Amino acid sequence: MKQNGGKPGHAGKEDHAALADAFNKDEARVNWHDETLWWIRQKRDKAAHTIPEWELLRETASRIKDNVLSNLGGYLEQFEAAAMANGVTVHWAADAAEHNAIVLGLLRRHGVDKMVKSKSMLTEECHLNEYLQEQGIEVIDTDLGERVVQLAEEPPSHIVLPCIHKKKEEIGEIFHEHLGTPAGNADPQFLTHAARLHLREKFLTRRAALTGVNFAVAETGEFVVCTNEGNADMGAHLADVHIACMGIEKIIPLKKHLGVFLRLLTRSATGQPITTYSSHFKKPRPGKEMHIVLVDNGRSVHLGRKEFRNSLKCIRCAACFNTCPVYRRSGGHSYHTAVAGPIGSILAPNLDREKYADLPFASTLCGSCSNVCPVKIDIHDQLYKWRQVLVQSGHAPLAKKAAMKTMTWVLSNPSVYHTAGKAGRWFMLNAPFTVNNGMNPWYKQRDMPPVPKQSFGEWYKKNKK
Amino acid sequence: MKTVKGNQPEWKELPEVPAGDVGFAAAVAGVDLSGDALADGFVKVLEAIGGAAYVVSGFDRIGTILRELFPRVGRVVSGCPELEGFGEAARGYADPHELEDVGLAVLAAHFGVAENGACWITEDRMIERALPFIAQNLALVIRKKDVVVNMHAAYERIGGMNLEYGFATFIAGPSKTADIEQSLVLGAHGPKSMTVFLVDEEMSDAGFY
Repeated sequence: MKQNGGKPGHAGKEDHAALADAFNKDEARVNWHDETLWWIRQKRDKAAHTIPEWELLRETASRIKDNVLSNLGGYLEQFEAAAMANGVTVHWAADAAEHNAIVLGLLRRHGVDKMVKSKSMLTEECHLNEYLQEQGIEVIDTDLGERVVQLAEEPPSHIVLPCIHKKKEEIGEIFHEHLGTPAGNADPQFLTHAARLHLREKFLTRRAALTGVNFAVAETGEFVVCTNEGNADMGAHLADVHIACMGIEKIIPLKKHLGVFLRLLTRSATGQPITTYSSHFKKPRPGKEMHIVLVDNGRSVHLGRKEFRNSLKCIRCAACFNTCPVYRRSGGHSYHTAVAGPIGSILAPNLDREKYADLPFASTLCGSCSNVCPVKIDIHDQLYKWRQVLVQSGHAPLAKKAAMKTMTWVLSNPSVYHTAGKAGRWFMLNAPFTVNNGMNPWYKQRDMPPVPKQSFGEWYKKNKK
Repeated sequence: MKTVKGNQPEWKELPEVPAGDVGFAAAVAGVDLSGDALADGFVKVLEAIGGAAYVVSGFDRIGTILRELFPRVGRVVSGCPELEGFGEAARGYADPHELEDVGLAVLAAHFGVAENGACWITEDRMIERALPFIAQNLALVIRKKDVVVNMHAAYERIGGMNLEYGFATFIAGPSKTADIEQSLVLGAHGPKSMTVFLVDEEMSDAGFY
């Protein structure tokens, strides 16, 4: 699968600004993308406002997660013991490679070369599909949106709405090519029905199913998987082997805490009161197998970063995506990481500072993300803190570094500052092309206000009496 | 695990979970939740998320309504022995794949949740775990008085039932997706319809016939 969403011309290091540029070439599409996500944000607001105790719920969820982080090791051990007592096999994976090898090992042991999979951002993070395909194992993504991007050979662009960047006509074309639907038919009802028939055959014939995990309860060893489509259940209940993969931060202490999180999750995500299915998996069916793979992949190190550990509280609702003015207008693929958006921008640098140094800069720091976060992660503060860490450790993008150096010089020398201001206004008035050109990113997709004849300093000097 | 334990911050106390009692919910919402308010709320939300609900006097009425709603649905599997002569009485199935052609499954759930239209059902009442998902249409039966106010109340109820299960789920409406340009389509992979019957034993059938 191509990590840059199939867009050519990004050889070498990927960069949010450059990828966003590509997305911004089609202005009508950007506006459509922006409006669609804003509509979902509005649905979230409406749903949240129906709950008078919404803020109490957010506070409670945030504090439960604080407690989880403060005893993550203990809860993981408790969860493991309870799950094992339930007849579930528990595996530990230190990193993505171990996770992928464990899944492959289980499939090989059962002689399985075809598997169905429901949505799991963790397996995207670990690049499981690519790995298994290289080993000759066919993986069918069964969430409709994920199936669409899988057929298009792209990664999901949104963690809840994987193909939000695709127009129905494009999906119609993809289905025409791969599922044999009539050319030119782009009716969502018709296409969904075609996918239903196509995927039902897969559910009925596959012997192994992999699912993600939304919440895992330390108290009881059970885990909860939420879907609207029912694809996780169709896969898991018809298979001989069910493999559930989860990041270690998905643990919650008590079963009754599910009440808090299930009230928040979908209202924050799409404005629904709850997903159609909130399935509680506890024991395998008689004679069948259930496996849980607990994956660290950098999370335990992240836990030690005082300033940034809060991001591990995330429940992957994507409310911060839908509200973010940068995400809405740059698209998920511009983040070149499995979890995009504001939360992805503070999680990714933890895994690889070099590769993801651009992401904390892909924000206006407006703070809307922190305002909608159901577990009250200080997302925009963390974005700001990551910028400082990245600049100090020499990971900041080169152009930004040069610009910062110049600004430091200008701002710390009053005479230089005044001269530069004067020169700037002169150029913008008399030779606008020298600044309003392709070289200046401030003019991308925007026009500047008219230039004043004098600066505030000059006006003040003239008028003070 | 060593890294986890070494890096986890100082112990922080767990907060109280908001109460699930009706009085509390009514107080914060500033509404009256007595009488039929919970059942009415449940029906309203369920209809809003694409489900259908009927308040009925008993199983006779459920059979009649289902025959009217699904005249040519094909194979019917019922987990409700009270529905005599309606569909095949569910038995132990050696393989869940035997259920692939079920047109309608009728199952008894435990209770409903007013705030989101969901019903809680445990494995013992599903016959097969796959059944509520693989059937083309799903009907669930609860008692009208078994509607709780919210998810906190739901987990209090589940805790109180002390019923061991290997699998259980909340089901709220038909399976659905809006992955194609946010157009809502009912019937993704699971049932295309969900009907919930709320049985009110004190209700009179007069007027139905």
